[in-house]
Formats: sequence, structure tokens, C-alpha cells
Amino acid sequence: MTTTSTTAGAVEVPAVELRGITKRYGRVVACDDVDLTLHRGRVHGILGENGAGKSTLMKIMIGLVLADSGSIDIDGRPVTIHDPQAAAALGIGMVHQHFSLVDPLTVWENVALGEAGVLRPAVVRERIAEIGEHYGLSIDPDARVGDLTAGLRQRVEIIKCLRRNPSIVIFDEPTSVLTPDESAQLFESFRDVVAAEGRAVVLVSHKLDEVMVATDDVTIMRQGRIVDRLDTRSTDVATLARGMVGREVSLRSERAALGLGDVSGASRDDRGRAPLPDRAPVLELRLVNAQDSRRNPVLTGLSVSVAPGEIVGVAGVEGNGQRALGDLLSSLVQISSGEVLVDGRPVSTRRPGAMAAAGVAVIPEDRHDSGVVLDMTVAENLVMVRPEDVATHGLISPDRLERRASELIERFGIQCSGPDAPLWTLSGGNQQRVVLARELSNSPKVLVAAQPTRGLDVGAIEYMTEQLRMVAAQGVGVLLISSELEEILDLSDRIIVMSRGAIVGEMTRAELDSDRLGLMMGGSAA
Amino acid sequence: MTGRWREWVALYALCVVAALVASAVLVEVTGGDWRPVLDALVDGSLRGPGRWGQTLGAAAPMLLVALGTIVSARAGLVNIGQEGQLLIGVAFSVYFGFLIGGPGPVNIVVMLVSGAIGGALWAGIAGVLRYWRGVPEVLSTLLLVTVASQAVAYGLKNQSLLLASEANRGNRNQVSAQLAADDRLPNLHLFGNEIPSAAFIALAASTGIAVVIARTVWGFRLRMLGRNARAARRAGVSERRYGLTALLVGGAFAGLAGAAMLAGGGFQFGNFRLVPGFSANIGWTGLLVALVAREKALAAIPVAVVFGALRTGSGFVGSTGVEGRITDVIQGLLVLALLVPPALMFVRDRRRARAASVART
Amino acid sequence: MAFFDAFWDIFTSDSTYLNGALFAGLLLFAASGEWIAERAGTINISVEGMLLAGAFTGALGFDITGSIALAMVAGMAGGVIVAGVQAEMSHRLAADQFVVGLTLNILVLGLAGFLDRVIEPKAASARVWEIPVLADLPLVGQALFGQRWPFYLLYLLVPLSWWLLFRTRWGLEVRASGEDPQSADVSGVDVNRRRRQAIYYTGATSGLGGAFLVFVQIGDFNESVVSGRGFIAIAAVIFGGWTLRGTVAGCVLFAGALSFRLSIQGLGYQLNSELLQALPFLVTIFAMAIFARRVRPPLALARPFVRGLK
Repeated sequence: MTTTSTTAGAVEVPAVELRGITKRYGRVVACDDVDLTLHRGRVHGILGENGAGKSTLMKIMIGLVLADSGSIDIDGRPVTIHDPQAAAALGIGMVHQHFSLVDPLTVWENVALGEAGVLRPAVVRERIAEIGEHYGLSIDPDARVGDLTAGLRQRVEIIKCLRRNPSIVIFDEPTSVLTPDESAQLFESFRDVVAAEGRAVVLVSHKLDEVMVATDDVTIMRQGRIVDRLDTRSTDVATLARGMVGREVSLRSERAALGLGDVSGASRDDRGRAPLPDRAPVLELRLVNAQDSRRNPVLTGLSVSVAPGEIVGVAGVEGNGQRALGDLLSSLVQISSGEVLVDGRPVSTRRPGAMAAAGVAVIPEDRHDSGVVLDMTVAENLVMVRPEDVATHGLISPDRLERRASELIERFGIQCSGPDAPLWTLSGGNQQRVVLARELSNSPKVLVAAQPTRGLDVGAIEYMTEQLRMVAAQGVGVLLISSELEEILDLSDRIIVMSRGAIVGEMTRAELDSDRLGLMMGGSAA
Repeated sequence: MTGRWREWVALYALCVVAALVASAVLVEVTGGDWRPVLDALVDGSLRGPGRWGQTLGAAAPMLLVALGTIVSARAGLVNIGQEGQLLIGVAFSVYFGFLIGGPGPVNIVVMLVSGAIGGALWAGIAGVLRYWRGVPEVLSTLLLVTVASQAVAYGLKNQSLLLASEANRGNRNQVSAQLAADDRLPNLHLFGNEIPSAAFIALAASTGIAVVIARTVWGFRLRMLGRNARAARRAGVSERRYGLTALLVGGAFAGLAGAAMLAGGGFQFGNFRLVPGFSANIGWTGLLVALVAREKALAAIPVAVVFGALRTGSGFVGSTGVEGRITDVIQGLLVLALLVPPALMFVRDRRRARAASVART
Repeated sequence: MAFFDAFWDIFTSDSTYLNGALFAGLLLFAASGEWIAERAGTINISVEGMLLAGAFTGALGFDITGSIALAMVAGMAGGVIVAGVQAEMSHRLAADQFVVGLTLNILVLGLAGFLDRVIEPKAASARVWEIPVLADLPLVGQALFGQRWPFYLLYLLVPLSWWLLFRTRWGLEVRASGEDPQSADVSGVDVNRRRRQAIYYTGATSGLGGAFLVFVQIGDFNESVVSGRGFIAIAAVIFGGWTLRGTVAGCVLFAGALSFRLSIQGLGYQLNSELLQALPFLVTIFAMAIFARRVRPPLALARPFVRGLK
């Protein structure tokens, strides 16, 4: 086995060389003396948990963040990168994790956005056609981006990056919105981009299997430092996992979070849980139809039921109605037909708060959207759904509010300067704990957890999954909506697959078949 | 925390001084002298005999308007039509006050209540437009100001509406009848000043609003709606119901302010008659009071007094040879300057919070 | 019937069209800039103050230089100064855009009143340029082609606004900033800078509008020349569904209401004068009540952008 440096040859100048990059935010060190070398013609994986510093490092490379110290050489020449335009001029392009696309604009307008010089639509359209032909990424340049599917949007994002013909391409967690098929196709085009054209490609990821499949070299980051540099072919998943977490990985939830679960029903432990008796469902959606504000259907004939104590996983590629399902159960979307029953009783979707009042707790996909009020205090956020609990005759008692809050802060280990701290002063993980604490403290009948571990570090993920298991064990029906297949496979008793606002398939833990699941996620009924 | 507090005070002081210096420079540049202007302002608002009462008399309706503004602002609504709501309030209290009549105290209550109802209804139009027709309230409330003043002007031309009978108006046209002596809000005599009772009503209302917003479930939900409408909806807050109520309360306070100006304003405001130009920009100024007080009911009290002092002081400025409108300029510059510190601190705080959270992801 | 006779008289009277064109002209100066500010994400209510500032500095400029061309430039500068305060406070300091706008309107009103009495600038009317042949068209000829010369700036300004927004890179970035500032930012657009520039542009067009008011429509300055027309311009943008075509239609419709008022009095018909005064505002409110739901505002309209915040 050869190592990176010998493969590239001693005489070849590396495409990028980062030396001693350090970035501090207050006392937190996001990148600590990081060295990184990228070579032309190779795919370099950067692996690390959320919070390991890989995003910060990439932001430094594309000029969104300035490093405190360290140097960057491109093709052997020292450079400074102050802003994204400078990065683009140096031939660095990034395909963003969260889309950088503006929905109401057309494809060509999005592709042209952020460049300099005179706007020439004809030239942009031509280039889009060229790139489309060359990489098999064909697309209508005059389509509105908002009307495209997630896969096509990813395509636009890649074209937007490749349009400038970058010599260094960074893919930041590119697969979260893709079906397994689309991911595979994406990695294919990686290869084309790299090998044939001598570009240096970086794949930033926290998914081990992805890194194993798509990369030539791997750099593992942990807590802002580089802990290991490996040749992908000479390593294995276990080594990568150990490097990433810093110890042997044993817990199932952790393995799931890292993409380590082996997707087959037989080998999964059943955690000693007895088969579920046929109990009346605690949550039932019957043939639910709903539209968004522009009258596009978002839920089409959706039927779901969750029994007490059951964890039902909703799998599917993002953007297939999962958000609408979460919003529906948060009283934020009205149905146009169908019925929602909680504990056998129909619940109105027109009345604000009806779901919460009926006992539906929600950990929303985006907590800033409907989960918390950033400008109110921790204590207020903790009683938000039922402020009456700390009030007499409509008058809130500061004492009871404080006591209630302190109790929850302690029970759920929320780190904050006190109950009166504004919520925005808390870290993301602690804001998420505030949501969890509030929702669980109202003794719910149903818990809807939408992407509950997104953006959390491994410790927090473990905590969250344990909480979900515990809640289910207490007889609450749990609806887990997630685009992380491993998370669903790990936690669910039953899995349903959503595509285009409808359920396209269902399987129990015993029937689990990963190929079928993949097909269903792609929208083909199987 | 004390360091932070000191920062706030320093920033505010700096901005206020900057606004005052700018005003002084403006006076000098236009050929005046700023010192006598300052003297006249202080004489007119505080030092002169009986001026304290006048200042409080101007501050009271401003404060009432501000309180209503605070309630609607807390619900996330930008109601900027207080001037019109106030006018419709006065019109209602004149109309129903004379229509219903009754002994003094009863009539005073009738006038105050009908003033509040009038203002609420006018604001309610904007509420209905917003929640049923999707019209932004910032525009509808604003456009309704002109409509309100034309409606009142029309009323003042019609004897069946607001215009006084010929016997009661002498050779004036476009005036309402004058309130009888026992239909007027009494003044309190203190230290040689006549303090209008509206000042006490406004003071009590400030405390009331502060408690309602901070301590009641209703206020809690109102704040939730203003800060994150989706989180509020999930928690059972109906945007329509709470938002409409907040607008109605906002209008009611403006209308109440108008009624209080009529029944207790004396020479300062139309001398117990509804006359053209009666509102005298109190609605606009009250709105500014609320903004400067950063939507806090108790902070609005001192702000209203300062603005009241500027207004009563401006009457004395003319004698210095400097155009009296300079007080409008001072007031505008002050408000603008007072917007700077919170905006500056907000950006800084959020940048810090963001830097800290970026470090973790 | 007298009622229909009145309408007939109004619709066949040249003065209706002439006045309508003047009112529409003023609204268009303000609205063609405001349209861009709103597409960038700002409901810029200080457009009222920009108009008044432009009217005053325009009059002042004429008083000093005696040249209407220079006075138009001075008017533009007045609008830009107000825009500067609005832009820097709401998109650099993150003060609430409505609060800043409202305060500015009141401050400018106070300043204009104060300075007008202290300085008393003298204004005049610009020269009439008749466009041959076209000016002889029936009804609209005089209104569109027989105006004082600053009126013709509109024929450049309105297409310019369209061209800027839809045909330049700047316009693309402005639209992206108004629809999705987060994505625009990630793509390398300086969102707040674009928003500030859009406000400066509004200041320039509205400042011209203020000067237009003085030198074309009225021929004099006093502090009540604007009296709410800026707000009607904002309403025209909303009425127009944030399209330029709709905005122009809105300006023409609301100008019609303003002109109707003058014509009906000018022709000697008696109609309730208060109703006529309130008419443009009522028409605006009704129009918004009917159309506000049918249009799609820029997605980030009136939402401040601070990086990393929703």
C-alpha cells in the first residue's frame, strides 16, 4: 500500500497546503493548529463529528471565516482569502450543505449569483448546457429553482460550483437530501470530476460508509485537531470510527449516528422488548390531504397510526412532506380532507394549539421556527405551551415559574446562566434540551420527533436517543421523522417510507430489507 | 453586568448629547443663539409658574397613546395610525357625550368610554383588513389617519353630528359645543400647579399595562405572538384573536387619550371643544414615546414627560427670535439618536452569540 | 342625469388628464425607487420624508443657483441624505426599519418647517417642452407630451428601474437579497450592502420626485406639499404585487383618484370636499383589501438580515 505523498509524487506541488490554521471563538478553539494537504486528482475525505471543526476549516478555505493564524498555499504560492470572491478567484469552489439557492429565481439566475462582472444570460445558459452535457447533470436553465426536486436542486448547486471551473472543489455533507441512488450517482460524478480533470476534491462528511466509498485519502478531525491521516484503501470502518469518536464505539445509537449500522433485520438486537400487543392507536392520521400556502399538495392521502409505546420511523428523502407532517402535528398546517385522531378522538387542525392540547408533543425539525422563542427567557420557554400551569386566575406566579424552570433545568441538565437567561444565549444543544424538557414535562400521549439529532454532537445524540427510548417505554407513541436512515433503523419498531407526501411502503423490524427500503425512498412502490 | 450597564448609560448619554449638539449647531447656523433657546425651553416646561402642570397635561395623553402602542407592538404589529384613532375617539366622545348627557361624573365616564370605543373601532378596521384581507397594518393604519381627519372635519360641518348649534358657537364654524363646567375632568392643585387628573389615569394605566404584559398569561401569550408567531400558534395562541385584540387595545388607548384631552385638556387642547387640528400631533408623539421607551410601559413615563416638556417649552421659544418649530427638530433628532444604542448593542450581542455557536458546529 | 354628465365632463376634460399625469408622475418617481427597495427587502416608509426633503433642497438649490437643472440635482441630494440615515440605521445597525422610517418622516417634516420659515427659499416652475405632433393628441397629448421638462425624466427613470433590477448583476443580487438573504449571503452577495444601495436609489428617485413636485406641479415650496403622497406610492408598489407594471398601474389608478378630486371641483360640481380629500386614501385601502392576498411579496420583505440569524 502506498501513502498519499508517494502516490502524488515527491515533485508534484500540492493543490492546497494549509499549515498551522488556528481559529478561536472566545475560549472555544474551533481549529487548533491544523495542517492539511490536498492533491490534484484525488478525493480527500474530511471526517469528524459535528463540532469537530471541519466546517470551520472549510469556511476558512472559502473565505467565509478568517483564521487567527496559519498560512494557506495554493499551488505552492502563499495566499490570503478574505471573502468568497477571493476564494473563487483562486479556483476554490464549494457545494454547500444547506442549499445556497434562492427559490424564486431561475436556475441560470442562481448559477450566476455571486459572480462578478457584467451579467450575460446567454453565456450563463450556454455554460449550464455545457456542464450538463459533460457531467450528465442536464437541467432546464429557465426552470424556477423552487419548483425543482431535492435531487435537481443538488444538481444546480453542483453546476453553480463547477461553472467557475474550480481547481479545488469542496463538497460539504452533500448526501443528506438525496436518495441512496442519487448519492451513488453523485459519487460517480465525483470520480469524473477528479480523475479526468486533475481537480482536488474535498468531501466533508460525518458518515463513515460514504467516506469509505468515495475517497482516496481521509483526514479525521476531533475537537478542532487532526487526529489521523489515512489512506482509505488501507483502513477500515472501525478504525475510522475510533479515530472520530476517540474511543471504541459500542453503543448502538452511536454506531447509528456514525452510519455504522449493518442494515439487516436479523442482526439487530431487539433490546429485550416484548412484541407489541395490538392496542388502539394513540395517534392516527386517516387519508390526510394538505396544501402549502401556494396550494401545492404537500400531503396526499397520508395514513399513519402509532400505538402506545411504539416507535414509528418515518423514512424518506428530505422534502417529501416530512416537514408538513411535523407542522400538521404542531397545528401549523390545516388539512383539506381526512382526519387526525389522538387517543381515538378527532382533533381539529384549524384551531391553534389543538394538537398540543390533545397531548401531542413535538420536537420540531427547526427549533427556531416553532420550537422556541429566542428573545424570551429559558423559564418562559419551558412553560410556553401551558403557561396556565404556573398561573392562578391568569396571573403568572414568578415563584412557581422559577421553581418549575429550575427543576426542569436540573432534570434535563440544561446548561445556562439561570432561568432568566434569554434563550438565544444558549448553545444549540441546550436549546434542544429546553424543547425536550418542555415537551416531555407535559406528560404527552404522542411525541413527534423531527430530525431530533440534527446538528448535535455524539454525546447529545446519545442522550436524545436514550430519551426517545425511555419515553416509548413509558407508553408514549413516538413518531420519529428522520432523513438519517441509520437513526430510523436503530430506533424504530416499524418503518414507513414517505415519498411525495404519501406513504409508499411500510415494514416491521422483522421484515427489514435495505434494498427495498432504498427503492421505496426513491419513490418506487415496492 | 455592571460594566454592561455602564456601557448602556455611556452610549445613551453620548447619543443624547450628539442630538442636542446637532440641534444647537442648527440654531447657530441659521443665525440664532442656542443658549436663550435652552433657557426658554426650561422656563416654558418647568421653571415658569404653573408650567409643571402644563407639561404633565401634555405628557398624559402622550403616555396613554404610548401604552396602546406598546400593547400592539408587543403582538408584533406596527400600528402607526394613533393620530387618526385619537381623532375618531374624540369625535365619539363629543357625539355620545352630548347625545347621552347625564350628570357630570356619569357624563365624564360616558365620554371616556365612548372615546376608547371609537379609537378601538378605527384601529379595528386595520385589524380586519390585516387578518381577513392580508393588508399590512403598517399601511392601513397610516392611510386611515387622513381618512379619520377628513371624517372629523365632515362631522364638524354638520350640526347633526359634531357641529355646535349656532347659539353655542358664535361666529366660529367647524367647532363642537363646549363641555359644561361639571362635565370636565377636574385638576388637582399642587404646589401652585394644576395637575390634570388625566396624568393620574395615565400613570395608573402604565402600571396596569406593565403588569398585564409581564405577569399575566394573556401578556405572556401576546409577547410570544410578537416574537415567534409560529411557536405561539403551536402553543395555542390564535394570531387573529390576539392580534386583533392588541390592535383594538391600541386604538382604545389612543381614543381614550383623545377623550381625556377633550375633557381635561383645557386651553392646551381646544378648550373643551373639538376644533380643527385638535389632535395636535399627540398621536404621532405618543407613538414616538413608545418607540423610544422600547415598548416598556414604565419606561414610557419619563419619556412622555420629556416630550411633554419639549412641547410646552416650545411655546416660549418664539420669544427668543428663533423659530418655534426647532423643538420638532430637537424631538426628531432625539428620537433618532435614542434608536442607536439598542440597535448597536443588538448587533454586537448577536455577533458574539453567533461567534460562540459557530465555534460549536 | 347630472351624475353621469359629471363623469362625462371629467373624462373628456384635458385638465383631468393633465392633473392625473402630474400626480402619477410624482407617484412614479417615488414608486419606481420604492419598488426596488422593496424587492431588496425593505418597506421603506421614509419615502415620504425623502420626497419632502427633495422638495425642500430642490427649492433651496433653485434659490441659490437659479437653475432648475441644478435644483433637480439638489433635490436628488436631499432624498439621498434621508436615504443615508434610513439605510445605515436599518441595514448597518439593525434598527427597526419602520421605526427609523417613521422617525425620519417626522424629523424631516420638522426640519422642513423650521428651515422654510428661517430661509424662505423661492421656487419657480420649469419651462414647458411641447413634443411636436404628440402633444396634439386628443385628451392625453398635453398630459403626456406637453409638460414641463422634468416630467420627461420619467420616460427614462421607469425603464431604468426595470433595467437595473432585471438586466444587471446588481439587480439580480438585489432580488436575491429580498427573497432569500441567507442563500444570497452564502453565494457571496453582500446582502445588507445591496439593501442599503437600493434605499439610496429610492432616495435619489424620490428626491427627484420632490423637486418635480416643486418645479413641475406646484411651482412653490411649503411643508405640506407632500402630505401622504409617499405612503400612496408605497401602496402602489404593494397594489402592483411588486411588479413594475402593476406598480405603474397602481400609480395611475391612485393618481386618477387624486386628479378626479381637482377636476370635479374645477368643473364646478359640488361634492363633499372631505370625501374628495379622503378619496385617494380610501381607493388605496380598498384596492389593497381586494388585491393584497393575490400577490406574492418578496419572501424576506421587512425582515432584517443579520448573518447567522433567521
